[in-house]
Amino acid sequence: MSIAAAEASVASPHTPSIQSTSPLTTNTTQSGFAFPTYTSFPPFYTLQPNVTTRAHQLDLWSSLVTTYCAYHRLFRISLSSPPADLFANRSINRSLKPSSIRDVLDHMASPAGGQKIEWLSTTAKGEQKDSCYVLWKSANEWAEEIHAWVDETGQKGTVLTVYELRESDAVSGKDWRDMDEGLLRRVLNVLVKRGKAQIFGQEESAGVKFF
Amino acid sequence: MSSNRRGVGLSAFSNAAISSDQYARHGEQLRTSHADALENQRSVFQAALHNFSLTHAKDIRSNPTFRAEFARMCRAIGVDPLAGSNVKGAGGSSGSVWAKMLGSSVNDFYFELGVRVVEVCRQTRAENGGMIAFSEVKKRIESGGGLVGGGMDVTEDDIQRALDSLEPLGGMFKTTTLGSTKFIRSVPKELNPDQSTVLGVIQILGYVTVSMLQDNLSWEKARSIAVIDDLVADSLVWIDEQAEEVEFWSPASMHVAG
Repeated sequence: MSIAAAEASVASPHTPSIQSTSPLTTNTTQSGFAFPTYTSFPPFYTLQPNVTTRAHQLDLWSSLVTTYCAYHRLFRISLSSPPADLFANRSINRSLKPSSIRDVLDHMASPAGGQKIEWLSTTAKGEQKDSCYVLWKSANEWAEEIHAWVDETGQKGTVLTVYELRESDAVSGKDWRDMDEGLLRRVLNVLVKRGKAQIFGQEESAGVKFF
Repeated sequence: MSSNRRGVGLSAFSNAAISSDQYARHGEQLRTSHADALENQRSVFQAALHNFSLTHAKDIRSNPTFRAEFARMCRAIGVDPLAGSNVKGAGGSSGSVWAKMLGSSVNDFYFELGVRVVEVCRQTRAENGGMIAFSEVKKRIESGGGLVGGGMDVTEDDIQRALDSLEPLGGMFKTTTLGSTKFIRSVPKELNPDQSTVLGVIQILGYVTVSMLQDNLSWEKARSIAVIDDLVADSLVWIDEQAEEVEFWSPASMHVAG
């Protein structure tokens, strides 16, 4: 990123970025997410060569990505269009290289990194993975939460559509509203495996029955 | 011998013996009365100090300024609040005079603080390679750092004292001064003079580059690179490759807002 570009973006912070075509890039960058102070530390945007330091750095990144996504309720990020201000700090003119972003996400996906993200499988073979679900709550936690809500609202035994679970008024104020559909299916499958739910129908008109 | 007239004859010998004996006895008497007076003073003082520390135990623990004053008073009269406090119930002597006088609350305070200092050092070791500024430790202890007990109000003076109290454990925690900042070194490795110089420079500017070292210290390039490589290997500095020249930063500035 050139300094001129950085200055321009600082001068007009409300200009929509070129990435705003992506549904994942929200306009809430000015929304008051409190970035931790270490994001103003220039070396934070260079992956450290020292193994110990790097391990710590990756943990810091992991916690930043999860809190950021939880704050903005992002369920999925893609490498080709990551949230503009997450991996870059324009005020110090630093950004994490795409290959480093991949390293961070790979770390987060690993068991050592706490499996905070899950890569989406690619369509073509040999293609590099591009998108991942960010599990600021684990699939199990989501499953528990949804099941508890169904239980509380007395909807056990009735069939709910995926649409209802994601977008209806009944779930407004719930953390999982507008959850990425793929992730929601992943979560529901957890319940299916436990024998607490059953999925009917196909893609568009899928319905879920909870037990 | 202050006698004016020089004794004559054999009797002079016994006279001399008698007078020196008298002097000795008088001296002894003076000494005992003196010791008695001192002993008396000491017990009065002890009692006063004991009362003081009992009435103000709470303040000593909670108020850093008060504690500093108290510690200064102790230092002025030559007593170490920490001395011998770890011999609780050892045989018949039952602990140090100090611990008996003050109760264990003052000692406990510093031991507790010592434990927290060690915790902070260990938590941040991956980030700073075991070198942490006093101010950073202070900040982390005051914020509580996610501990159940919450924060403690401390001064850097207290931290130093707490570190001193850890000395019997083998002195793994050393204090070093780089530039004008005091650091706790929690990894047993000695810095060579070159490394200390570089870290000192970093404290002033926040970062350093190879050419800055060459220009300011008139070091060979190879020397500068070697020193910095060592520091990186010890995780004492972080690399920033996105500046015009590669910069090396101290992790101390990592948690400072700005």
